[in-house]
Amino acid sequence: MFNARLFPLIVAFILSTSGLHAVAASSEAATGQVKAQLIASADAVHPGDEILIGVRQSIIPHWHTYWVNPGDSGLATRIEYDLPPGSAAGEIQWPTPSRISMGSVVNYGYQNEVTLLSTLNIPGDSVAGSAFPVKARVNWLVCKEECIPQQVELQLTLPVVGPGAAIGTGSPLIAQARAGLPVASPWSFRLEKIGDRLSLRISGKAAQWAGLKDIWFYPEQWGRIAHGADQISKVSGDVLELQLKPGDDPLASGGMLAGVLAVTENSGEGAATRGYRVDVVLEAAAVPPDHSAAQSDLPLSSALLLALAGGVILNLMPCVFPILSFKALSLLTHAQQSRAEVRLHGLAYTLGILLSFAILGGLLILLKAGGAQIGWGFQFQSPLFVLAVAYLMFAVGLSLSGVFSLGGAFTGVGSGLAQRSGYTGSFFTGVLATVVATPCTAPFMGAALGFALTQPPAILLAVFLGLGLGLALPYLLLCYWPSLQRCLPKPGVWMDRLKQFLAFPMYGAAVWLVWVLAQQAGVNAAAVALGGMIAIAFAAWLYEISKTHGTQVRYPCMGFVALALVAAVLGGYFGIQAPLSAITAKNANTQDKRWETYSTGRLQQLRAQGKPVFVNFTAAWCISCLVNEQVALSQTSVKNAFETFGITYLKGDWTNRDQEITGVLAEFGRGGVPLYLYYPAGTSAYPVVLPQILTPEIVIESIRVAASPGSAVSQ
Amino acid sequence: MHRFPLLFLAVFFFVFAFSVANAEPAVSKPAPLFSGAAADGGTVTLADLRGKTVILEWTNHECPFVKKHYESGNIQGLQKQAAAQGVVWLQVISSAPGKQGYVDGETARKANIERGATPANTVLDSTGAIGKLYGATNTPQFFIINPQGVLVYKGGIDSIASTDKADVARAENYISAALKDLASGKPIAKSSTKPYGCSVKYAG
Repeated sequence: MFNARLFPLIVAFILSTSGLHAVAASSEAATGQVKAQLIASADAVHPGDEILIGVRQSIIPHWHTYWVNPGDSGLATRIEYDLPPGSAAGEIQWPTPSRISMGSVVNYGYQNEVTLLSTLNIPGDSVAGSAFPVKARVNWLVCKEECIPQQVELQLTLPVVGPGAAIGTGSPLIAQARAGLPVASPWSFRLEKIGDRLSLRISGKAAQWAGLKDIWFYPEQWGRIAHGADQISKVSGDVLELQLKPGDDPLASGGMLAGVLAVTENSGEGAATRGYRVDVVLEAAAVPPDHSAAQSDLPLSSALLLALAGGVILNLMPCVFPILSFKALSLLTHAQQSRAEVRLHGLAYTLGILLSFAILGGLLILLKAGGAQIGWGFQFQSPLFVLAVAYLMFAVGLSLSGVFSLGGAFTGVGSGLAQRSGYTGSFFTGVLATVVATPCTAPFMGAALGFALTQPPAILLAVFLGLGLGLALPYLLLCYWPSLQRCLPKPGVWMDRLKQFLAFPMYGAAVWLVWVLAQQAGVNAAAVALGGMIAIAFAAWLYEISKTHGTQVRYPCMGFVALALVAAVLGGYFGIQAPLSAITAKNANTQDKRWETYSTGRLQQLRAQGKPVFVNFTAAWCISCLVNEQVALSQTSVKNAFETFGITYLKGDWTNRDQEITGVLAEFGRGGVPLYLYYPAGTSAYPVVLPQILTPEIVIESIRVAASPGSAVSQ
Repeated sequence: MHRFPLLFLAVFFFVFAFSVANAEPAVSKPAPLFSGAAADGGTVTLADLRGKTVILEWTNHECPFVKKHYESGNIQGLQKQAAAQGVVWLQVISSAPGKQGYVDGETARKANIERGATPANTVLDSTGAIGKLYGATNTPQFFIINPQGVLVYKGGIDSIASTDKADVARAENYISAALKDLASGKPIAKSSTKPYGCSVKYAG
């Protein structure tokens, strides 16, 4: 007597013995070129299960079988499953193919081995204890130079077991095959027709493209692209562009290009290839250019002009203005000097600026080459740099206040050196101007910088130098056109007063930087910085009073000066640790919290729900950002508008390094903050990029216009 | 000094791009002209056939896809249909010496007699020059050139890509449809289709 209740146990027992396992899980057939095997992801099935079945082909060397689109010739492998009623097998899940080229004919297929998987559902009314037979008739074309069509029949029987019974692990080849399937792409794609080519733009991270060995797009449909044509890839910043040649059945505007992007990277264990699914619509030629494309496709000449204009405007920024007035002041003292000398000062100042910009640009190029995700003002993401600049501002302030003067030390050495030290002074004023200018991303500069950051080193450097030249230009003009100088007032006591007065903006800048530092590295860092400043003030005072004394007094005093400075520097260096990630989050705990901390996930979630979102990318060291928040985003009218339209306000803090935000900035062609985005309601609405200088009217108007029907599309 | 080589390069690239673009066989563009050795010992020159409709059939008698259409009598039928309409049917064999499908003139003629095939002539393109001029990738693959020398069809023989003879009857025959369209003076409805078959066995 056979006990049905015992059957599952018996099956499980049989399955656990390896001898029967091979017979139960597969059936094989072989031709001269291909050995085929029917395999399943389980050794037994429950009623209602969904499992994977597959046909594995082991192909002898130099021969190949074909992908779903075989390319220029050939034929895709076909599997017809013959299954019990109520059951069905899904479409073949094609692994990432490779190119097999025979002269000018290029095929897409598989060499050595391939497993073609399908899902298989077991009917819910299958009876435990019965057998579930899977039959497959497999047709393939196997080719070397010549081609042979072949057909085999495979059969596999899976025992049906009751709920709860073990079903075994099936063939290990299944898991291996799944690993070879194309995966969802982490990138966004854009497809445009440019001239007679299709341009597939893949937005990734610049660092990802650096390790790339090969990239190839396999179209799922025949004729969409010319199969054998070269696919020219071009990396500019984060975007990799693949140029494809349309084939004999080209896409129309709005048509969908589906396929697999095979990306081969050099990894630790040699080259590894992975396939990514691509479904991208060919954009209609008439679609207005996207904001990011418009900015990144800026011609070089425009970028240089914008950079120059941006540099000029930098002079008016709150960070640079004190320096510039400082410089103008020095021009007055030089007024008695010959025109040639004045011009030399102008050149030294310009040189200082250009050299600093070149170094900054060079540093960016190096960091970019190293794969770092950085942008404009990146150096302010280092707390130590912020501290150093705060010290510098403070010291300059002390000097302006007359606590100490460096020039005096050189008086005895001779007028020649003094003269030179004057030029050195002009040079370093230029350096200083550059250092303090960086946190201010002026209007016009955003686009130029965003452009530069996506360009090859030479162009990046050119844009940077353009920016520097713009910054130096007003002072240089003043030096070169004496008629302009005549517009400046006559020297007098007022100059000293003005000089002393200008110390206060410098103190202000130092205070601001200490505040930035506190944001970055915590409250203790502020104490360290302020303590360091006292040491510096003490050193300055001691230095000044000891100057007039003899060596017996001066040398010990200089020792104390040096000690105080070392204490300030070392104290700063060791006193400031930046637990980077922890700090940004802390910023969120302010009282009037109308905003959420930005994350890509949160944005996508809100977008998926079709909710309108306002995104503000800011940094504590970005003055324009802070000004915008004060004068525009914190205004009651703006708050009301946000509420009326149900807008979620996300704030992304770029004070410290943040890859995610750097990525978004790059997407919009920007290299730095601020960046304001408004995503109107609806899942398919385009984001609106707001200007870098905001007023409440600009914000409200942007929201209102984007929210009115029909206008979102035109953005 | 610097401008000259640049200008030269620009002109060179333009000319190069233009000539390449011109050579692409495209439907409703003039078909590339060629001249090749024929199986009957003569020479076939496309320019001489101006005024007649010409069908080019890329073939390789050992390819299973070609065999399917000859063993089923499909191609022979089409050749007769074409001849009746005054259409010149040319087989083109681009297989390189030593590769599958390579034949000399005599073998080619014998094979056609054995199969009952009646092309107007067979062009022996062992260097692959004509094949590459037309971008032929498959055997079988077809190109139809109208009396004005314009390419009016490029593509496959029918709609079911297989080596199964049983599929011939079920498939939509593109060549037969094109011949019908030509006979009635209509433009060819499906003028560009997906060819299927073996790859052309070019040298190298």
